[in-house]
Amino acid sequence: MDFIAENLLTILILLPVLGAISVIGHQMFWKQDAHLKWVTLFWALLNFVLSLFLVLEKGGASASGFFFEKNVPWIRAINTNYHVGVDGLSLWLVVLTTFIMPIAILSTWHAVEKRHAAFYAFLLLLESAMIGVFCSLDLLVFYLFFEASLVPMFFLIGIWGGENRIYAAVKFFIYTALGSLLMLVAIIGLYYLHASATGVGTFDYVTLLNSLKSGALPIPRETGIILFLAFALAFSIKVPLFPFHTWLPDAHTEAPTAGSVILAAVLLKMGTYGLMRFNFALFPEASRELAWIFIILAIVGIIYGALVAMVQPDIKRLVAYSSVAHMGFVMLGMFSFTEMGMQGALYQMLNHGISTGALFLLVGFIYERRHTRAITEYGGLASVMPVYTTIFVLTTMSSIGLPFLNGFVGEFLTMVGMWTSEAIPHPWIATMFAGTGVIFAAVYLLWMVQRVFFGKLTNPKNKRLTDLSWREIGLIAPLVFLMVFMGVYPAPFLNRSREAVVAIEERLTRQAGGTIEHAEVSPKKEANSLPPAH
Amino acid sequence: MNTILLQNLTNPNVNLQIVLPEMIVALTGIIVMLYDSFVPKQRSVTGTISLLGLAISAFVLVTMSGDAPATAWNGMVANDGLRLSFSLVFLFVSAITILISTVWTERENVPVGEYHALLLFATFGMMFMASGNDLVVMFLGLETLSIATYVMAGLRRADLKSNESAMKYFILGSFASAFLLYGMALIYGATGSTNVTEIALRIANPNFPALLLVGGAMLIVGFGFKVATVPFHVWTPDVYEGAPTPVTAFMAVGSKSAAFASFLRVFVLGFPLIAGVQASAYLHESWITALSVMAMLTMIVGNIAAIMQDNVKRMLAYSSIAHAGYALVGFIGAGMAETTAKRDEAIAAVAFYMLTYAVTNLGAFAIVTLLGQKNDRRTDFQDYNGIGFRTPVLAFTLSLFMLSRLGLPLTAGCMGKVLVVRPALEAGNLLLTIMVIVAVVNTAISAYYYLRLIVVMFFRERTTDWIAPRIPTALAAVLVITVVGVLYFGIFSDGIIEKFSKPSIAPALTAESRP
Repeated sequence: MDFIAENLLTILILLPVLGAISVIGHQMFWKQDAHLKWVTLFWALLNFVLSLFLVLEKGGASASGFFFEKNVPWIRAINTNYHVGVDGLSLWLVVLTTFIMPIAILSTWHAVEKRHAAFYAFLLLLESAMIGVFCSLDLLVFYLFFEASLVPMFFLIGIWGGENRIYAAVKFFIYTALGSLLMLVAIIGLYYLHASATGVGTFDYVTLLNSLKSGALPIPRETGIILFLAFALAFSIKVPLFPFHTWLPDAHTEAPTAGSVILAAVLLKMGTYGLMRFNFALFPEASRELAWIFIILAIVGIIYGALVAMVQPDIKRLVAYSSVAHMGFVMLGMFSFTEMGMQGALYQMLNHGISTGALFLLVGFIYERRHTRAITEYGGLASVMPVYTTIFVLTTMSSIGLPFLNGFVGEFLTMVGMWTSEAIPHPWIATMFAGTGVIFAAVYLLWMVQRVFFGKLTNPKNKRLTDLSWREIGLIAPLVFLMVFMGVYPAPFLNRSREAVVAIEERLTRQAGGTIEHAEVSPKKEANSLPPAH
Repeated sequence: MNTILLQNLTNPNVNLQIVLPEMIVALTGIIVMLYDSFVPKQRSVTGTISLLGLAISAFVLVTMSGDAPATAWNGMVANDGLRLSFSLVFLFVSAITILISTVWTERENVPVGEYHALLLFATFGMMFMASGNDLVVMFLGLETLSIATYVMAGLRRADLKSNESAMKYFILGSFASAFLLYGMALIYGATGSTNVTEIALRIANPNFPALLLVGGAMLIVGFGFKVATVPFHVWTPDVYEGAPTPVTAFMAVGSKSAAFASFLRVFVLGFPLIAGVQASAYLHESWITALSVMAMLTMIVGNIAAIMQDNVKRMLAYSSIAHAGYALVGFIGAGMAETTAKRDEAIAAVAFYMLTYAVTNLGAFAIVTLLGQKNDRRTDFQDYNGIGFRTPVLAFTLSLFMLSRLGLPLTAGCMGKVLVVRPALEAGNLLLTIMVIVAVVNTAISAYYYLRLIVVMFFRERTTDWIAPRIPTALAAVLVITVVGVLYFGIFSDGIIEKFSKPSIAPALTAESRP
């Protein structure tokens, strides 16, 4: 038990790899496609159960504020360590990952038609890479996992995707790879900055952060901005922030249901998580200086995503574009640089994972039945599929942000955070534009719901549609439960993340004027003032 | 000076132990040749003998790794980090090439004995290119290597393409050798020595500085050809495509790394920056700038041309051009290093890069050989259509190699790239930083054609019949070695880098030598 507690994160990362090997072994020896999903489900559930220990753990954080820390030398020649740990920022994202995986696997029960072993093996490998991304505290290790997560997804889209899958897969890969490679250069650049300032190069996040905090590692303004941009590009592509979003609709639409769910629920969060963890904490001055760009792009994303979603004839594509808008919200909350805004952003990351993940699942259900996603093919489904309709509408409401559902909490916090933000002058303008995004979200989602579910059942093909099976209800139920639970009782989630968020907020604001008394600095002056030279 | 020369001639500082690895390889070559002329109809004996010889040589090298850096034969041969690391790469490449060739020699009925002897002599040449500390020894090594590979490229006598390949390689190669030799002569004229260590000491006060520059330029042309950098790369695709696939693998990996070894020794160790000396500063700046531009062109042209290929062998040929560009990044980083320790580290990084490149490339070529069938007929992209799940082991292995060449994490290629990029970024020089960014953007471009092979194999459906080839034992061994290598060097590169980072024979650099 002690062994598990000490190496919990490593186990969480490696267990799915073991699972993938067992899936392939199973296939080689028994050649029973039908067993594989059970084997996969077993590993995913085991990982989920183990990840719950992360939540139960209350104390035991190390001096650097991380739980379950593990730091082992990896390549001594370049001073890189296998350093993992979680804090409030990553905790829920890890749990979200392990929580979504069994659901994604259940959703593929009848959907996989070929190459079962490879499909499940790639799913498990993807899980491993995703958990690795959220846990790593060494920049090089982080980069490794960040890149490694591309490969399984590339195969998932490319082999099991829709008609246009090859284009979507290659676009997805090259877009993300380009961004992350530039980040790699920035990571190595940081290594040398640290080496020239202190004599020891390091990739270690905690060490870098401490050196930055103590002033041992001064970063000149221009260098800081360049490094910030290199990191931010990688993450903005992943989020995706307008105008780097074009890979997303293709990838989402072509990916198999499980792939879309994971993509929406977890992969996109790597971007926002990375921005918060690395960009904000390592380059606070540059973050403050460039915040306005990201806020504008986030707002453009919110409105653009919503408008484009409105005219999509394809339900899955509509949900994909709604992701662009929703992730814009998350970005907005983060770049407000207030505790509330960032907490809201973090909460919204989970919400988006749950609601949009659920939407993709629901689209997948209907696609399995009819093999079309065109809105015009449907209409009046409420009369034949009442359960499905109820759940769909509830999920839509959660996505829009109806009070007492999870989306509301996140959006509310984000908007309040933005309103009180000092990151840009006149933050209320940004908040106002973001607010219109909520209205747009209601328009495109409700309009879609109306066209698909209500009205007369005109298409004869839809008359014999069966309602959700018990398996389908079972796999969507946890998501629905969370939508409601997180809507009425957000405290446990927010409490766990507060400490980490406050630490980042302090980091962002303390650098502003050299003191914590940022409240006295007028927003305008603060935004325009240059960071002090150290 | 004449007295020194005379002294050297009468007392040549014989040290057989230091060249023992080379001698073992040469001896094995002679044994193979003799055995083949007496027992001509054999198929596997010479291969076994060759592998044994290479293994013994490698063993001797490893036992020598603990020795302090030293020179022998009047400073003509050096035993240092550069020699050690590169020679191990060469021995590895030759051994794997012999294993890969078994499929091909059987299929095409090639005279195995001759082939193995040539391969061993080529390896012997390569090893002297790494251990030679004298321009003349390097040239001898290079010619031994080249002549053997000219013949190997044309081994498939009945095939026009193979003939063309050999002919082109021969003519252009001789041309490059001439450049190289002329460059060496000019360097000798300028410094009065052909010994690299001596040259490094004398460039501070050359007889005629202009000769030094012209000589250096000619050396760049000559080595540039052998390494296949743009604009001296034009021969590569035709030669690589026409030559038998195992020979292509050998040339793309072995010859290239060997040329890099000499190239590194002459430029990084021979033309360093000496504090406050105009001539050396000028020479140093010139070669750094020239090579940086070449590196960038090499990466860009290699990658863009690779995108447009429809033949897998040609694609690999162009991509290996691009890889020479990445290795040059580390090379230039070594040239810019401020301390001796950092320079040796950077040289080790280039050697490690060549090792990772060797592992990945040999594995890929092994699979291409196996899938190529007689006369390498099936090497177009469309021949790979949809074979992914027909032969999952081969296809996934090939994908792994492609991802490693692309430089994806946890593969050897990634570690190699990180290590060569490091010294270049450390220099903090604008040109070098731009070069690193070019390298990175190029990596993203290269994703397109590496992924294309994966796309073709897995994402497309096959319309025609296709029977998965049986994997022969030798090739299975190659695949196991290379796959383990790719993952091992990607994940546990620690030990290898440490082994490679041994000091080189050269005058020490001082941190103050930077103006």
